[in-house]
Amino acid sequence: MEGNSGTDSRSADNGVESLQLGEEIQRLVMAPETGNSFTALLELPPNQAMELLHEPGGNDETPPPFNRLLRSLDSTPTFPSNAELLERAAVFSVFAAENSMETSLIPVNSVANSGERVKREPMDTDSNPNSSDPNSNQKSTKRKEREKKGKGLTKKSKSKANETSDDGEKLPYVHVRARRGQATDSHSLAERARREKINARMKLLQELVPGCNKISGTAMVLDEIINHVQSLQRQVEFLSMRLAAVNPRIDFNLDSLLAAESESPVDGNFPGTVMPLMWPDSQVNGNRPPYQQIWHFDGLHQPVWERESHNFINADNSLLSYDSPTNSASLLSNQLKMEL
Amino acid sequence: MLRQEFLKKWIMGLQICSASKKEMSILERKNAIKLSADLAMASTRNGSTNWRRALIANASKENDNTTLVDQILGKDSESIIKKASIPSAFHDERGTTCRGKKVLRNRCCGIRRAKKMAASAGSIAKKLVKKRTQVLKRLVPGGESMDEFSLMEETLDYILSLRAQVDVMRHFANATPPN
Repeated sequence: MEGNSGTDSRSADNGVESLQLGEEIQRLVMAPETGNSFTALLELPPNQAMELLHEPGGNDETPPPFNRLLRSLDSTPTFPSNAELLERAAVFSVFAAENSMETSLIPVNSVANSGERVKREPMDTDSNPNSSDPNSNQKSTKRKEREKKGKGLTKKSKSKANETSDDGEKLPYVHVRARRGQATDSHSLAERARREKINARMKLLQELVPGCNKISGTAMVLDEIINHVQSLQRQVEFLSMRLAAVNPRIDFNLDSLLAAESESPVDGNFPGTVMPLMWPDSQVNGNRPPYQQIWHFDGLHQPVWERESHNFINADNSLLSYDSPTNSASLLSNQLKMEL
Repeated sequence: MLRQEFLKKWIMGLQICSASKKEMSILERKNAIKLSADLAMASTRNGSTNWRRALIANASKENDNTTLVDQILGKDSESIIKKASIPSAFHDERGTTCRGKKVLRNRCCGIRRAKKMAASAGSIAKKLVKKRTQVLKRLVPGGESMDEFSLMEETLDYILSLRAQVDVMRHFANATPPN
């Protein structure tokens, strides 16, 4: 957000300052390196400077926006490519904001470039600093950028610190957007973040609870959630009551249960419950039957061991369906008694 | 996966219950069934969430024979109970203090509102939400000591587990032939 505002102001300033910038460039090219002349240029917003620092580190192929600006200034002082520049600047501001990792590259780059700059300096000063000459101008712009980088090097620690702190501050800004009139101090920001987290959970709950999608309003959704939880709890109560009423003993005799289950239509939303039914306490007594292992990869060998021990459950995704219900049920009950 | 685990533990609990006590009335049976179901549900996933711990802790507090049950239900149930009891006490303390603060704040707000003489729709909605949150806190085991965010998370988890429980139990109930 801050980067955008910075680029906006910059683009607004561009039209005004274009001529001044051009003059200043001329001066820069002619003059030997003096820090004072650059300070005027470096009074740009810091994030813009950061952009310029980021850009050549990323890719050298595309000319940096500032470079382009200078060229356009050179050719026509009226600065025609404003819109394009604005676009690019916007892109690069995002780029710079995202790739804060490149800050680590900057010192290296700037050091190398500063060394290069020292070498190249006489050439630049010797060459005719005529702005109509495209080559020298290109050089001058490059040099200026380098010098900017050099300046950036002196500012390095500071700008780095700024960057990190900016990132730290930006993170909540990304998630929690302060609208107009909203407070921006840390407490209310944290509060807003908390509320948004809660809202996200609420959305999940809304999806989970049936018939809750169309409802808007936290209170209504909470109502639905409460109803759902209550109904589920009541169902548990009711079902346990029913089970208690139906079964004379609490220890369900699984054979009758399983036999009944095999007759009743089985819906497929109850997968993988055969195993624990068969071996409810396999951990308690270690003596597993040898064909326990068959159970695990039963799908392929099913016909084989079906023939061998000709009464077993086929554990294909449906609950407790039997090959031969009576035999297997009796065997199952025997098995359970043995284990008990 | 959840259902499988639940079913396994539930049946284990039932068998233990039946082994410990032969003759039971209907109510006793029902309570035992429900208790073992609850404990089985709570002990799935290692009792990782708050409500599970609270459930186990409550169960072990209420009747003494349940400690036996959940000892066998989960091998690490002792640690779960300990975990549950310690943070729950801690949370309780914190919760009471928080509540005190909230009450204070509410009073302040109420005074301010009274000064403004404007009961906006927003405040009414807030009140409604707060009321319902309190109800929900009472519904979710151990919810009294949760803040809103964790309450939402626990409610999510709780609903999922309850569904699994209901599913399994309904299958059982449907499977048992009506005499």
